[in-house]
Amino acid sequence: MSENAVNIFEKKAEEMTAMNIISPSDTFTLTAGGTVMLDHEGTRYNRVKIVRLFPFSDADRYLSVRDHDDSDREIGIIEDLELMNKESRDVIRHQLDLCYFTPVINKIMNIKDEYGFAYFHVMTDKGECRFAINMGSNAVTKLSDTRLIIMDIDENRFEIRDVEALSQKEKRMLDLFL
Amino acid sequence: MILKYELPKNTEKLIALKDNEKIYYAVPIDIDENGRWTDDSFLVVTTGRVCVIRNNSLTEYDIPDFDRAYAEPGIGGGLLTLRKGDETCVLAHYSSKHLARYAYIARGINILISGRYEEVISTEYERTCPKCGRAIPGTKTCPHCTGTGGFLSVFMKLVRSYKRGFILAFILMILAAVTTLLNPEIQKRLINDVLKGNGDMKTALIFLGMMFFLSVAIVIVNVAKSNATARLGSTIAADLRAQLFDKYQKLPLSFINDRRPGELLNRITQDTRFISDFMADVFCNLFAVFFIFIWDVIFMMILNLKLALLTFILIPIVSAVIFTFRKTISRIFHLQYKKNDDVASDLQDVISGMRTVKSYGREKDESEKFKTVSGSFAIVQKKNERFWGMFDFLISFLMGMGLVIVVYFGGLDVLGDKMSAGELYQFITYTLLMFQYVGWLGRLPRELSRLTSSLERIYDVLAQTAEEETGEEKDIDIKGEITFDHATFGYKSYQPVLEDINAVIKPGEMIGIVGASGTGKSTLINLLMRLYETDDGRILVDGCDMKDISRKSYHSQLGVVLQETFLFSGTILDNIRFSKPDASEEEIIRAAKLANAHDFITALPDGYNTYVGEKGYTLSGGERQRIAIARAILPDPRILILDEATASLDTESEFMIQKALERLTRGKTTFAIAHRLSTLKNADRIMVIDGHRIAEIGTHRELLDKKGIYYNLFTAQMS
Repeated sequence: MSENAVNIFEKKAEEMTAMNIISPSDTFTLTAGGTVMLDHEGTRYNRVKIVRLFPFSDADRYLSVRDHDDSDREIGIIEDLELMNKESRDVIRHQLDLCYFTPVINKIMNIKDEYGFAYFHVMTDKGECRFAINMGSNAVTKLSDTRLIIMDIDENRFEIRDVEALSQKEKRMLDLFL
Repeated sequence: MILKYELPKNTEKLIALKDNEKIYYAVPIDIDENGRWTDDSFLVVTTGRVCVIRNNSLTEYDIPDFDRAYAEPGIGGGLLTLRKGDETCVLAHYSSKHLARYAYIARGINILISGRYEEVISTEYERTCPKCGRAIPGTKTCPHCTGTGGFLSVFMKLVRSYKRGFILAFILMILAAVTTLLNPEIQKRLINDVLKGNGDMKTALIFLGMMFFLSVAIVIVNVAKSNATARLGSTIAADLRAQLFDKYQKLPLSFINDRRPGELLNRITQDTRFISDFMADVFCNLFAVFFIFIWDVIFMMILNLKLALLTFILIPIVSAVIFTFRKTISRIFHLQYKKNDDVASDLQDVISGMRTVKSYGREKDESEKFKTVSGSFAIVQKKNERFWGMFDFLISFLMGMGLVIVVYFGGLDVLGDKMSAGELYQFITYTLLMFQYVGWLGRLPRELSRLTSSLERIYDVLAQTAEEETGEEKDIDIKGEITFDHATFGYKSYQPVLEDINAVIKPGEMIGIVGASGTGKSTLINLLMRLYETDDGRILVDGCDMKDISRKSYHSQLGVVLQETFLFSGTILDNIRFSKPDASEEEIIRAAKLANAHDFITALPDGYNTYVGEKGYTLSGGERQRIAIARAILPDPRILILDEATASLDTESEFMIQKALERLTRGKTTFAIAHRLSTLKNADRIMVIDGHRIAEIGTHRELLDKKGIYYNLFTAQMS
């Protein structure tokens, strides 16, 4: 009878190391409730979660698809979002947009510092917004020389894709945090 | 934390409350269906409904229709879902700003689903002031809105307790100002009365003597003043440090965990140091400079109004130049500081990872990488030094130009007999004095704001209310019965680690705790150690709520050996004695023997007096663990907690200690976490923690028969 249990672990180990690929023909659909459903190799997964494996360096490739109802077990990996059919792609894009909420800052209107906090007023791809960062902490992370992630006091993330693309005036305002 | 926001009138109308229906929670939804910011959407929970209001339209969900609500954290935000059977309904997406808030809402909805009508209340602090929109520096209320953070009031509070020191400093400041201002007056007299006005040698010597004494007086007064303020500053800093440290010890662990350790350290070291620096560098000159500045201006105007006004025009120019340059300077030095940081952290990385670097043969690449970092630092440094050199030169040049103007127009006046030569000299000295302080005054606002934020951070901690014991707690002799009664706990409000733990442990029973990493085993033990208090439910000791037992009494009957053993800097003796300060040497030896530590301690050159800790003798993991075990068993505790206590020992020592522990744990209520199930074979019962709950509990036999998680783990380890 102990054989059985050992087999369970063997199987688990196998599952753990296997790399399943989600083929472009698998379909992702949005359910009425607003979640994502996947049909993959004849199985229907009621609710899947899509996780970016390289959120910064390769956001649209290597997406891990996980089964929400089976404690987030990996169903497979999407190698390239571009290769999926359009309907699935749109569903996934939409889902990623909602679950990875990282507004990209396009324009800095103003930065004001007061008592150890800096108040940003910016225009992002998600709309205009204001947020505050703690100047004492490492709120600004450099992904590269020109790419920044800013974490506000609520732990929201904001991204600046290319510092060099900002105007001189904006850069000067930002300088204190670089 | 606010869970019930004020709703706009039309939103309230849309909800249209029925009779006997009330609003439980109302929170904003800040992300719309397309993932963009929005500010006109709300989620409202009433007695029977969850309402989502977007674009002035209402979507309703009847609470009884659903099984459970979830606040699922995502990246940079989260979503609230309602579930019924297999079906999931996404109600709203929100940014991280509302992450904790929605966790409370989900908890609240679940209470309503279960048919109870309690309202969840959050004691967490808001991070942004709902009134003024400013960030709140970890305090309960916004210092700006409540007015308590006003610089003066906080500072005055500080001043009041050090009245004497402040009065002395103040008197010395005035003296310093008077002596500084007096000097040019005497110099004028010397020039006018003696040098130009046919004075004799005797008067000249008198003036020179006066100048000499005044110079000496200036030095003495200034030294005394610096001394007094420095002493005042360091006394205040030391007092604040002691108060802060005392508070840290008293505050619940959750306060410490909510903040980054660095931040708390900074409050003790940096913020207090800044206050003492401020007292020594800025405060000591503050009144003196104002005093000098004002009289300086008055004297200049009395001496020659036209010339004074002319000079004053220069002030804005000089200050503007200084101001812009200072901004650039702080920017470039900030850059240099950052680059310096890069070099240091790169170095630290490589040096501490030397073994890995060498074993992969990457020495060359690392050298190259370091060269680049170091090179770019050098470039920045070179640029900055060059700039710095120029800055000084430029300022002197500007001041020199100012002087040229003064001398030119003043000279005309002297030639035209409107002014004496001595007065011109005096005027020039006053001008120089003024320029000297313009820069200083320009720096003041920045220094003041830094002082304010330091003071605020310190007072934030001091203003926290620590859970003082009410005095009604009992001292009890623990027999060892432990009851978990619906105990629920999470370090963060939106992530429960333990949910609804129920169990009764008999006195003297040994409970083995197993489960995968991160399931909450150590958390359960933290609760038993009273490091945290349960969010919901209770833990009872001998039928008495843990909160009603005095900490001192409880902890003196508790022995703990943790996975990571922490030894303080000090001797082995000090470390073992930590759990029972009045233990005799004999008791200590006996404890060490029981922990199988005596033999290795004897082999050390300094025996029990061997110095261990950060700078001391390096003990192996197993040796440290054995000392920790000796420490735990020294007071002969009634409750023993072993968190992977023998994990870092070799097989033989482990076996020996297991044997010793067997004897020790007899008659004591013991909780032992172990990954290696063989170490739990003496356990009376095994508790399996999975999915934040007790998944299985029972004897080894019972659990094997059950063929559940424990059975699988056991067979996997035995095969």
